[in-house]
Amino acid sequence: MLGISEIFEMFKNNMVNIPLIQPIIDALMNIPLVNYVVALVLWKPFFAIAILPGLGGIMLVLLLMVYWERKLTARIQWRVGPLEVFRPLRGLIQPMADGFRYFFQEVIVHVDAHRPYFVQLPILTFIPVLLPILFIPAGEIVAIRSPYAIQIIVALIALIPITIIGIGWASNSRFAYIGSVREAMMYFAYEVPFVIAVLAMILMYGSGDPYVIVEKQSVPGIIMNPIAFLVFFIATLMATSRLPFEIPEADQEIAFGPFVEYSGILFGIVMTLAYEKLYIMCLLMSILFFGGWSGFAIPLLGDLSPVIWLFVKAVVVMLIVALTRSIYPRFRLDQALRMGWTSMLAVSLVSLAVALAIRLSGWLG
Amino acid sequence: MREANEMKELSIDVPVEPPTELKPLFIPIPPEYVEDAYKKDEFLVLVGPQHPGSGHMRIIVRVDGDVIVEAIPDPGYVHRSMEKLAENRLYIQNIPLFERPAIMDNANFNLGYIRAIEEALDIEVPERAKYLRTIMAELCRIGTHLYDAAILAVFIGHTTGFMYPFAVRELICECLVKMTGARFTSSFIIPGGIRRDVDNGILNFVKKATFEIERRLKNFEKIFIKNPATIARLKDVGVLTKQEAIKYGVVGPFLRASGVEYDVRKVESYEAYDELDWEIVVADEGDGYSRFLVRVNEISQSLDIIRQAIGRIPEGDVISQDLFENVNANTKNPKDIRGAFYDVFTNLKLPLGETTTLTEAARGLLLYTIVSDGESNVPYRVRIVSPGWLYLRGFMESLKGERLADLQAIYGSFGYFPPEADR
Repeated sequence: MLGISEIFEMFKNNMVNIPLIQPIIDALMNIPLVNYVVALVLWKPFFAIAILPGLGGIMLVLLLMVYWERKLTARIQWRVGPLEVFRPLRGLIQPMADGFRYFFQEVIVHVDAHRPYFVQLPILTFIPVLLPILFIPAGEIVAIRSPYAIQIIVALIALIPITIIGIGWASNSRFAYIGSVREAMMYFAYEVPFVIAVLAMILMYGSGDPYVIVEKQSVPGIIMNPIAFLVFFIATLMATSRLPFEIPEADQEIAFGPFVEYSGILFGIVMTLAYEKLYIMCLLMSILFFGGWSGFAIPLLGDLSPVIWLFVKAVVVMLIVALTRSIYPRFRLDQALRMGWTSMLAVSLVSLAVALAIRLSGWLG
Repeated sequence: MREANEMKELSIDVPVEPPTELKPLFIPIPPEYVEDAYKKDEFLVLVGPQHPGSGHMRIIVRVDGDVIVEAIPDPGYVHRSMEKLAENRLYIQNIPLFERPAIMDNANFNLGYIRAIEEALDIEVPERAKYLRTIMAELCRIGTHLYDAAILAVFIGHTTGFMYPFAVRELICECLVKMTGARFTSSFIIPGGIRRDVDNGILNFVKKATFEIERRLKNFEKIFIKNPATIARLKDVGVLTKQEAIKYGVVGPFLRASGVEYDVRKVESYEAYDELDWEIVVADEGDGYSRFLVRVNEISQSLDIIRQAIGRIPEGDVISQDLFENVNANTKNPKDIRGAFYDVFTNLKLPLGETTTLTEAARGLLLYTIVSDGESNVPYRVRIVSPGWLYLRGFMESLKGERLADLQAIYGSFGYFPPEADR
């Protein structure tokens, strides 16, 4: 039986070490009760889930991504984009203003909806979004360390479409129904090439352990196997319903598909779902293709340095992904399915062959 | 398209009840039709009128899986009873009214009505006015095509393709501002000419603007017209063959996209069109992409027409002398109607009878018929048949057999504009 003091000791022995704010932490640790909180927050598994790269990172990414996407699209389209909310920072807090608007808007639950599921599913979607983060390590900061982490992450990402289909079902409306069928179909389109591309990388590195993978990337994975990266990138676009594969949501065709009946803060939550999924997939992408958390260590940040590296890499990938929105129109569902099962599948098999060749050449040992 | 049907289906005999929500919507289909659809394992999707991809109309789409079996239009949500309103207004007061069906295309709509009046009164329009009317009509044609291209782009999810044409359209609006004083719906064309002369400096500006429009459209071409995803979405979608297009009475660029070489500007030439060199743009495929390309190529033809017209425009009056018969001599100015407007036009009466004109508006053939009783200064009856109304049937027929996602792509490829069709 663990007592309070044992748990506290456990927290204290496994805390994130940040030299920059160490004096403050030392001071806080001397205050009774506050030290429990500080120890919990800085306990490495909790820090990974709740602060970085977990929930805190997601919030930060949401604010940044929404702003960046609007601003970038505006620049491409000969416009200015968000500007009026806090002019000194060129409208940087516009997403926050949008969030407040969602928060104070009335939430309408229509009579045909399956009320309990309709209301709770948007909140429950955070579970499959946060589960993969348990297994995404960033240097020393990791929640659950496993030699099969990559495989587990890929499996857990597959849970996200189920909640979206559940949302569409609970909405009980025509367009939501069509949207959830489209979501299921899109999942069917990208999942096999996506898994094969990840398998190719696992085969190439000879392990599903992120620590081994990062260690072996003296040359980034994208240079060793660019074909797998291509498949992974397109699968990311499909999985997160970004244009040109924004098929389940397709606002002009089926009016945001599964989310058509949502309003207020519930819509705000479901709208961020795709961004959260994109964040997870970009974290996975940086581990597999961009050397994960490797990068020169910043002594002042201590344990935080690798986390920052991983976060920055993922965010940079996300910022590039945002570009597709202003370049492509939307494909049709059958075209996307055909693409997934012909060209993408073929290319993913080629990437598997490339991985096999690298493995057999003994380059990575 | 319909491979799924060839597989053997397991039929499960579940009693299906048509949804009650269809009853209070006053949709133009009998209840038996709804029951029939639901018994056959099909599905009715009501697209519109409050839908981001429907415009101001409702389309009742009967789908089998993802494939459209039948599409029934329910137009009339923006009906403004223009024909009836016209019966209580002076001929001259109807000009602003008849610009409103399609405000992007105001000059062509204005021109059709004015030409009907001129034909009835047998007024000869001065050459310079004809050229200026041609330039305005072509500017509005480009503006409308750009507007439709923008709507098409956003309907298939391309927001950049939406913004670029609207930005280019600003140049057209700027030209119209300099020429007429208003961005659109300027009511500038009047019976017997135009309101006032446009000086050559402004015409030079318009000429320069045509080159700038051409330059900016290259960006649009790069990002949208030649985009592989755009081509994938529009190619072989919503095909109307030549026979079908003629049978369903499709008009304008959409008829020409199916390979029929028909353009009112060539067939029954009006204004200055027969004095300029230009070609009818035709395509053979009759699919969504060719309907779009025909209009894109028409933009470059129109730009060419404008440049030629500016190069060849003669000097002279812009208002016909016939109008000034009963006017005080010191307000008589054949270059500017201001001062004499009410004297000339308030008591305008058309001779007894019926006059019909055909005009090539941006979206196709536009028909105006004015019936006059010969004694009152308001029309007895005005009939407008707008291009949107004419090709609505072809639009609905081309939807059959396509996928539900193609509904918006085909809608955009037709550039269907409910206010124009509903009048």
